[in-house]
Amino acid sequence: MKSKVKTYSIERKQARYGFAFTIPCLLFFAMFSFYPIINAFITSLTDRKAVGRTWSFVGFDNYVYLFTKSNGGFSMLNSMKATGLFTLECFIPMVVIALVLSVLIMQLRKPGQKKFFELCYYIPAVLSSVVAATIWRIMFQPTGLINQLSNTLMFTSGKDYKWLTDNNMLVASTVIVYFWKHMGYFTILFITGLASIPPTIYEAAIVDGSSRWHTFWKITLPLLKPTVMLVSIMSMLQCLKTFSTQYMFVQGGTARKPIDVITMNIYYTGIRTGGYLGRASAMSIILFVIMLLLTVFQFKAQKGGEDVEY
Amino acid sequence: MKKVLVAMLLVLAVLAPIFAQGAEEKKATFDKDAPVTIVFWTHEDTSRNVLEDQYLDEFRALHPNVTIEVARFAAEPLRQGIQTSYAAGNGPTVWNLPIENAHAYIEAGLVAPVDYEVVGFKNADDMRKHYADGMIDAVYVDGDFYGLPLELTNWCIFVNKEVFRDAGLDPEKDYPKTWEEMVEVSKKIVKRDGDIITRRGFDFRYSYSLIYFVPMVEQLGGALTEKDGCVNAEAWIKALTFMKNWGPSGENLGNSTLTAPRKLFNKANGDVAMANTGLYQEARIAAENPNFYNSGEWMVVPFPVFEGGKDIAAKYYGHYYHVNAEATEAQQYWGWELIKYFLLTPGHAEEYLTKVGLIQPLESLMNGDVYKSMPYSDVFKADFARATITYYGKNAAAIQTQIDTAINNVMLQGVDPADAYKTLQANVLELLND
Repeated sequence: MKSKVKTYSIERKQARYGFAFTIPCLLFFAMFSFYPIINAFITSLTDRKAVGRTWSFVGFDNYVYLFTKSNGGFSMLNSMKATGLFTLECFIPMVVIALVLSVLIMQLRKPGQKKFFELCYYIPAVLSSVVAATIWRIMFQPTGLINQLSNTLMFTSGKDYKWLTDNNMLVASTVIVYFWKHMGYFTILFITGLASIPPTIYEAAIVDGSSRWHTFWKITLPLLKPTVMLVSIMSMLQCLKTFSTQYMFVQGGTARKPIDVITMNIYYTGIRTGGYLGRASAMSIILFVIMLLLTVFQFKAQKGGEDVEY
Repeated sequence: MKKVLVAMLLVLAVLAPIFAQGAEEKKATFDKDAPVTIVFWTHEDTSRNVLEDQYLDEFRALHPNVTIEVARFAAEPLRQGIQTSYAAGNGPTVWNLPIENAHAYIEAGLVAPVDYEVVGFKNADDMRKHYADGMIDAVYVDGDFYGLPLELTNWCIFVNKEVFRDAGLDPEKDYPKTWEEMVEVSKKIVKRDGDIITRRGFDFRYSYSLIYFVPMVEQLGGALTEKDGCVNAEAWIKALTFMKNWGPSGENLGNSTLTAPRKLFNKANGDVAMANTGLYQEARIAAENPNFYNSGEWMVVPFPVFEGGKDIAAKYYGHYYHVNAEATEAQQYWGWELIKYFLLTPGHAEEYLTKVGLIQPLESLMNGDVYKSMPYSDVFKADFARATITYYGKNAAAIQTQIDTAINNVMLQGVDPADAYKTLQANVLELLND
């Protein structure tokens, strides 16, 4: 009788350990990320309601409804516009200003100064979004701090700048809150990226007579490309998923339509009014597709061009 | 191997939702002495919590086999929690919501009919006789009642007399009887720093348009019906025009972004002169600001009416205690026992009224001396007589949101009331035909 001789390569042996360590994570991801996405997609193909025990398969009717009907006055198209506007107004300035701030902080030489500013900028990030939105909503009221400050800066007295009542000012208010809360986090990410650039490169640049501006454009920025890609994708996705700020403002009595971002429309449609789970699931799938497409686009856009190495 | 693993995970993720509902639980044979756990969800109310905690302790002492898990939430989180827990097949055993939110659960068969034997009535007719006329009709469906009323509430106007006098008005004579007078009185009371309002005469409860705004429309001859939506465009447009005139683009007497007057009224800081709220506010004033409560510097007056309009007061709404139809037989039994203990034990209805300010619409209570002894109960009773229950039909919560939005649009976004009405009616009809 011939005996089978089993052979294992070293790679396969090591791979077994790799699987052993990654399987729990994959299972966790499958159950808590992948499964809800699949479940949401299946639900989006039904007419399921929160208060009800029977539902039926309706195919893509929910998707057609969202793009053809007003959804009780809060259309998906309006939400996409509100989300797009908010994202554009937030994520690009946030990335740029976080980068500038991180570069300035990295210039500080006195002991403790860097840590102090890092702490100052990061503190809002640890605050709960709900608490931050509530505090800012009070500050934006006509008798609040922001309106008083606006009157001082604009040399007016007793003028209501309508931070919460004018559509455009309302959108600006939500952008300000979001910016204030999240900018510190991305500044820290940039600082981490900057700290990973070897100082010897800068020393060599100085020896070669490079100006600060030239060093920033030709050395810092190219070497920071992976961090820039990470920050821009993360900040864009977070902006697309914004919810707490807009929700707390609407809860406080502001108009909903100007700041009716997709996530808030999902919440109102599925939970708050009517319990249309099928429709809300369709909205969440649409948001998922938008986020996926934009992420792929960003990857492709940022991968173009040379990777710089020194 | 890697591909096989990923494929297996994909299959698992797809199959999991199909089988996620699990097998249907068989109801066990009911043994009254066996240990049972019931889950009780209700909304936060400082005074009611104290009273009901006392009742819960007494109930537990009487029935040691019953474990009661209590959770209290703010109004909106409670509504959402009940919805999501039912959607997950895990609703609480005993719960309450305003009837305009709760009725959908009764219609969906998720609420158990009253166990008349447990609560002490012979049948539905016997139960009806114990309550004031028409006051429990909201939970009567196809020959059965589906809840016991915790409270039936209407809103009148609470007045801070000191603020009136500070504005040069006599609160006893000059309180507003019409909405037009409300505007004039508010104009005299309001203080501003430029555009910025620092003291208001009155402001509306903007998130509850079914309660305060629909009656205003009805005073003008309009209505909200399940069949035709917002009936009588002229009435609706006139009411929306009134709200537009109230807001920043009109007389600037208030708007929805300012702090709700009922939250400021108890403080008696001179921030607001009037608030639209219910009898329960009296207990809250007594608890939060006993000096103000005892000072005699507040009073309650009827809900105003438009000049020449129908004499209609603010809608009343009810909170009913319900039992989950999907709970086990034992849980349902003890759920009704708990509700009976809370509401129908002799003396408890009076305690709810005197300590919490909640009126159960029991015949005996509403015609009794205890109710009569509550400050300004005559005002609330008179307004009850000229009011009807809030709309609790199809998609009530969503329709309220639409009306709130229409008011917001005319007040804050400069939308013409006629256009706001057209959009409102279109959206309401879409919800009713959904």
